[in-house]
Amino acid sequence: MGRLIVVCLAAVVTLAVSPASAQDVESLRREVEALRKQLQSVTERLQAMEARPAPPPADATVPAPAAPPSSTATPPPATPVRPAPALATAAAPIAQAPPSTAADPPAPGLADYARPHQPFSLAERRGPGQLLFDIGVSADFVGTLTQRNVEKAQGGTFSGQENRFFPRAIELGLFGQIDPYARGVVRFEAGESVEGGERGIHVEVSEAHLTLLTLPFNTQLKMGRMLNRFGMLNQIHEDDLPQTDRPNVFTRFLGAEGLNENGAELTWVAPLPFYLEALVGLFDGDNEVAFGRGSLRAPLVTARLRTFFELDDANAIQLGVSAANGETPEKHRNTLLGVDLKYKLVPEGWRHPLLTVAGEALFANRKVDVTGDSDGDGIADVGGTRTRKRWGWYAYAELQPWQRWALGFRYDWTQYPTAPGSEWAAEPYVTFKPSEFLRFRLAYKHTDRTHRVTGPNDRGSARVVDEILLQASFILGAHPTDAF
Amino acid sequence: MRSRGAHAAPVLALLVALTLGALADPAAAADRIRVVATINDHRLLVEAVGGDLVEVDVLARPAQNPDDLEVRPSHMAKVRRADLLVINGLDVDSWVEAVVVGANNPKVIPGAPGRVDVSRGIPVLEVPTTKVDRSMGDVHPAGNPHYYLDPGLTPLTTGTILEALARVAPQHRATFEANRQAFLARVSAALAGWQRALSPYRGAPVVVYHKEWAYLLSRFEIRQVDTVEDRPGIPPSPGHLVQLIRRIRDEKIKAVLVSAWNDRRTAERVAAEAGARVVLLAHGAGAIKGTETYFDLFDYNVKALIQALE
Repeated sequence: MGRLIVVCLAAVVTLAVSPASAQDVESLRREVEALRKQLQSVTERLQAMEARPAPPPADATVPAPAAPPSSTATPPPATPVRPAPALATAAAPIAQAPPSTAADPPAPGLADYARPHQPFSLAERRGPGQLLFDIGVSADFVGTLTQRNVEKAQGGTFSGQENRFFPRAIELGLFGQIDPYARGVVRFEAGESVEGGERGIHVEVSEAHLTLLTLPFNTQLKMGRMLNRFGMLNQIHEDDLPQTDRPNVFTRFLGAEGLNENGAELTWVAPLPFYLEALVGLFDGDNEVAFGRGSLRAPLVTARLRTFFELDDANAIQLGVSAANGETPEKHRNTLLGVDLKYKLVPEGWRHPLLTVAGEALFANRKVDVTGDSDGDGIADVGGTRTRKRWGWYAYAELQPWQRWALGFRYDWTQYPTAPGSEWAAEPYVTFKPSEFLRFRLAYKHTDRTHRVTGPNDRGSARVVDEILLQASFILGAHPTDAF
Repeated sequence: MRSRGAHAAPVLALLVALTLGALADPAAAADRIRVVATINDHRLLVEAVGGDLVEVDVLARPAQNPDDLEVRPSHMAKVRRADLLVINGLDVDSWVEAVVVGANNPKVIPGAPGRVDVSRGIPVLEVPTTKVDRSMGDVHPAGNPHYYLDPGLTPLTTGTILEALARVAPQHRATFEANRQAFLARVSAALAGWQRALSPYRGAPVVVYHKEWAYLLSRFEIRQVDTVEDRPGIPPSPGHLVQLIRRIRDEKIKAVLVSAWNDRRTAERVAAEAGARVVLLAHGAGAIKGTETYFDLFDYNVKALIQALE
């Protein structure tokens, strides 16, 4: 009887346990299978990483020299601020630089450019927090206050945005080396504008270009969409302008956006003891104010010559001449010539210029269709074309006695490029820069025109314009170095 | 009657001669290596290693703050002709990239053999260990870049420069090495003297205006206990100055170290309130009259420190 009970109990236990053990075995099998898959995945990733070439160091051609033996270091003080670096004393052996293991990168040939390259990842990390390119954001806000009639006529500096505070340009910039042979820049820009009577935020690719750095004969080729290097101000972005607005002569001849074209620029720096840069460019000619043909069959051709002299350690001057020739939509030729000059006084030991004086003049020789009374002589013109020779100029002086504060004054005068008449403007301003990444500017601008500006639907007119201009700009992240 | 071509020929010849004269480069004629250094201290090291085989130009003037340099076309003209570009690195001369782009010289673009970053291999001080942003001022994310103010690092820095010169002119490696060893022997002897002179002041506390003396003070075991700037590159707040004055008084700190481009008036006001003295040190070779050579620079700074701490 006892044996029977034991057998029964064993049978019950066996029946009860058996399914559980089977489940465990099955579970274990699944786990082993999962682990095997994980191991296989890790092995594959490891093999893939080993197969990739090792990433080069920041300065791939320079080996890091070995530090002297730590035994030569002087013991740190009793309460050191930080550990003392390795020391070479009189008795210590001199550290030997290791032999170079760096090989010169091969000179790129035509085949190198043609051969497909391994694309770089968008944001490959090289170390903690480091990307393969720089990212920067700049934001520029402008406020204007002016007379009611100017607002109605939309005759202010920022047409259609009178008596408003608005984002003029919010910009995301990406820039860096593309590969050993080229640099790249991409900028997206958003800002408020009025188009067709509608106010809104527009977003555009303001720049996207590459620069080939290793071309022969000390030349560089920049291609893509860019701010043309025409004159002094055209290539400067809104947040970096010396005044809140661009001078009237600039906006009358080139438009509020300036020359922002698709094409290519070739530069050459002369092998001289002083700086002399020559540039030629070929572009679509999309600028609607000055050209607008927008075709490589009648391209916009630009040229610039720039030189620079340091009179002594404190005084320096830059001179430039520029030219642009293209066609208007009516297939009439327009030629622009510009001369520019910039002088800076930076006293010895100063971190900023004490005085900046700069100016620019623009000349236009343009054929226009003659319709109606285009020259304002009261006599209706018969059709045909006429040549308009117009010009204008601006100059400003800025005094920066303190690092954070600057005072300046700008005067500009310009004829209208196609219509009769002219205007002049005077603009005193004060700039406050708490740091190099934050700037506020307050300006008063008085504009006096020979002719009234009439607004859309004949609403209001403006001949004399008084404006208060306020600017606030900031920079986040990287920002290209400002040049002279 | 002479033809028009006969008149033009001498004019043309003169123009060609003028052009060739302008193009002729003294360094090229002497077959020397043209080197451009971003700061004057590296110019001296390159000259020490390169000797007569190099012609060295510098971009930042000695009295300038290399951290805050405005790029000029004259810098581009110098780099345009360079065989080798010597940069300090650690973000102090990152403006050099704008110079290189404007110089149209493929020999010195990033990754090219004619370019060397002397900071490679340096035991960098004050490397941030936490996330940095601009609320902290002009913090250098890669660490303190003023390593050229430590004479004890010359074996490393001249070693890096030697390799760079040897890449450009491998046939002269032996000469460069001999020059370097001779220079290091002089530096070692001088360093021993500087250390002896400052040994009585080991552990002495000082206040600095800007954290540019970290390597110099570490080498000679002098303690930097506080800064006049509470954040690098940003003028100090009144609250910070009040605390600093109290600390200088309480800890009987004798010296406030400044360089030529610091706000001397603020430093003098703090020192006068706290009973300390302002000491002007040379932030680089040539920054102060009488510090034009490598040895003059440290002779001056060591003497100034001794006078301040006595």
